[in-house]
Amino acid sequence: MIVAIVDDEQHCIDHLVHLLQPHIGILEIVSFNTVSEAIKGIDELHPNIVFLDVQLHDKTGFDLLASVSYREFNLIFTTAYEKYAIEAFRFSAIAYLLKPVDREDFEYAFQKAMEKSEQAQLHERINVLLSNISTEHNPKRISVPHKDGYLFLVATDIIRCQADINYTHIFTSDGKKHTASKTLKHFEQLLVGHNFFRTHNSHLINLRYVTSYHRDGYALLDNGERLEVSTRRRESFIKACSLI
Amino acid sequence: MKCILCMFAFVAIVQNSSAQQLQKELDSLTQLLKTQNGKDTTTVDLRNLYVKQALFANPSDTTLLDFVKGTLRVSQQIGYDKGTMQAYERMALIYQYSLSNPYKAQEFYHEALSLIERNKSLQSFGWSIYGGIGTLYYEQEEYSKALRYFKQVLKHDTSLELTATANIANIYGSQEQSDSAIYFYNRALRLEQVKTNPTYKANLYSNLSLIYGRNGQVDSALICAEKSITLIETYGIEFVRPTAYANASMAYLANHDYVKAEKYAHLALELSDAQGNLFLQKSAWGSLADIYAAKGDFAQALEAHKRFSVLKDSLNGQNRRVEINKKELEFNFEKERSTTKMEIERQTTLKRAYLFGGGSLLLASVFGFLLYKRHRDAFEQKKEADFRAMVSETELKALRAQMNPHFIFNSLNSIGDYILKNDTYTAMEYLTKFAKLMRTVLENSEFKEIPLDEDLKFLDLYLQVEIKRQPGKFDYAVKIEEGLDIQNILVPPLLLQPFIENSIWHGFTPKSTHGRILIDISRKENMLVCMVDDNGSGGWADGGMPMEKKSFGIAITESRLEVLNRQKNTNGKLKIIDKGQDKGTQVEISLPLELLY
Repeated sequence: MIVAIVDDEQHCIDHLVHLLQPHIGILEIVSFNTVSEAIKGIDELHPNIVFLDVQLHDKTGFDLLASVSYREFNLIFTTAYEKYAIEAFRFSAIAYLLKPVDREDFEYAFQKAMEKSEQAQLHERINVLLSNISTEHNPKRISVPHKDGYLFLVATDIIRCQADINYTHIFTSDGKKHTASKTLKHFEQLLVGHNFFRTHNSHLINLRYVTSYHRDGYALLDNGERLEVSTRRRESFIKACSLI
Repeated sequence: MKCILCMFAFVAIVQNSSAQQLQKELDSLTQLLKTQNGKDTTTVDLRNLYVKQALFANPSDTTLLDFVKGTLRVSQQIGYDKGTMQAYERMALIYQYSLSNPYKAQEFYHEALSLIERNKSLQSFGWSIYGGIGTLYYEQEEYSKALRYFKQVLKHDTSLELTATANIANIYGSQEQSDSAIYFYNRALRLEQVKTNPTYKANLYSNLSLIYGRNGQVDSALICAEKSITLIETYGIEFVRPTAYANASMAYLANHDYVKAEKYAHLALELSDAQGNLFLQKSAWGSLADIYAAKGDFAQALEAHKRFSVLKDSLNGQNRRVEINKKELEFNFEKERSTTKMEIERQTTLKRAYLFGGGSLLLASVFGFLLYKRHRDAFEQKKEADFRAMVSETELKALRAQMNPHFIFNSLNSIGDYILKNDTYTAMEYLTKFAKLMRTVLENSEFKEIPLDEDLKFLDLYLQVEIKRQPGKFDYAVKIEEGLDIQNILVPPLLLQPFIENSIWHGFTPKSTHGRILIDISRKENMLVCMVDDNGSGGWADGGMPMEKKSFGIAITESRLEVLNRQKNTNGKLKIIDKGQDKGTQVEISLPLELLY
């Protein structure tokens, strides 16, 4: 199994190598300091797992992803504190580790990366990631994990999400209902800043689809649905609606 | 029989002289007036006297009107009320007798009366005016009104007793109350004044003969008629002559003395023709028609009757005109009255409208002002509240931010301590744990409130890390009251951490027994009670340590609670209980229970 580490700082590479020590028997570790080197290496070596830093001198890991022709690997981003990048990873359901990397987190991510299923639809997920990261004003897309892989949804097409214990039902504007294998909380955090509002313990609503609010505690959506707004959320809900 | 009441109304002026005397007096008055041209009361009196006499002597003298107007002007100029009043009376008389305009006459009578109203001293001179008005009513056949006026005159002015009595008699005659009429005529004839006044006497007898005739007392009628004619012949009383002749003719007719009847009828006719008195003409023709019919001269009777009918129609027409005039007058008066009433109503309505409008405006202004004030006050209050909230928010944020360096430096202490005791690789791993903790602190401190489970997760991580640094020194337990939905409960982030930190760093001395930290979360009514209990040396809270050395974290937490209480008007409390030397410390924070949903 080939593991590629792409980072412009040697000590970061060293740290990852240190964390990989318990598994060294089955691994071949290669590392690259620049994007161009890495592109060449990846296309040549076809690694199974790639640890990719976001900031690489004057280039980014995204540049690398856009250029490589081989994408059949498991991808784990490593980053220090880049908020925009983290959001993009979460949107695309791509794994990432925060530096300095904690061993427990590393182990969790590495074990997952070893699973074949994690590789599923990576190509599309990378495309989602690249489109979301791009400076052009593309509609934000999210990769939604469900029982057979991933769904790719445009955030603005989502009308609402409804909690179902550890699953979440996502209702889209084409009238479909998708069930994701993540909690509502996951989507709430994911969609922060995209005009979604948690009106209730089990409801997350896209405010764009709210037509009115009724005094008896219901929000009316433009598909005619009536959704409860909990008493404690009413004030901030009305405020949030007026800000749209 | 065409029984026509042919009576001459008794003018309300005492008339003492015969026609010749009258003319003589008039001439002397004219002379006097020529010498008296000044504007004084004497002149006015003289002029009034002249008019009175002249009116009798020559009723058709139209120049008199202008003359009286002059008198009126002079009298008003010099402010001579009596003169003015009498001038008005003269004006009325002229309109009444010369110009046959009862309405104008009435107007002037009323002018005169209103002068009396203002100046009571004129009352004694004013009764002749009442007499004049009475005559007017009599002529307009408003007998009851006329009677009322004359009875007043009779009561108040003895000088007018004769006129009043005679007119009362005439009224009763007109009302066909013959007995009353005869009584008053005879009463009038017995009066002293009549003895020196042949005109009146002749008139009274003439009228009386008519009433007697109508009453069927033919003999009495004849006697009266003859007495009347004798008087007229003797004194040359032209004024009464046509009437007396007409009445005499009727008396003779009743007595079947057709020759005399015809003679007087013709005489009456001639005279009334000359005077243009249609009423008398009609009466005379009526008498003649009856006379001819009685004589069997039917052709002449028919002719007379035709004349009679024409005159009757014409007179009826005149009466109708009078009637119409009257109606018109009433109408005009009514119109004026209603216009005035409407104007008054309009003014009243307008006034009310103004009042109402003004009132409404005032009310609206007051209301508007109050509304504005309330709105403004509410706005101000909201602004102030918003401002205060913002200040509190900023304060809290600053306090939370202060937690970060505090936590970071304490963490660096821990890391340093760890490095000294361990190898570099495990130190590195320890460091990554702290990096994770620091990240959480930074993230959570962004929020005013976070779900309780998030904060507990952080505390758990923190405690694990600290245990790793000092293995075997202490352990911990987190106890959460059953049924508490920690995901739905909101707490300010990092509220408990400083107390746990104190327990770890100051609570457990090397010689003390195995340390134990208990975190207990429970609910008491609508308060969330978070307790940190240790079994350490104790005394760090406030007893053992001087105040200035009190943990920075605890001081910040106290301030945060204070600001939160102020902001939300709640009663969050911090209680630090020193359980005693080597027994440990208990910290209890109670917060109002806040739920996310």
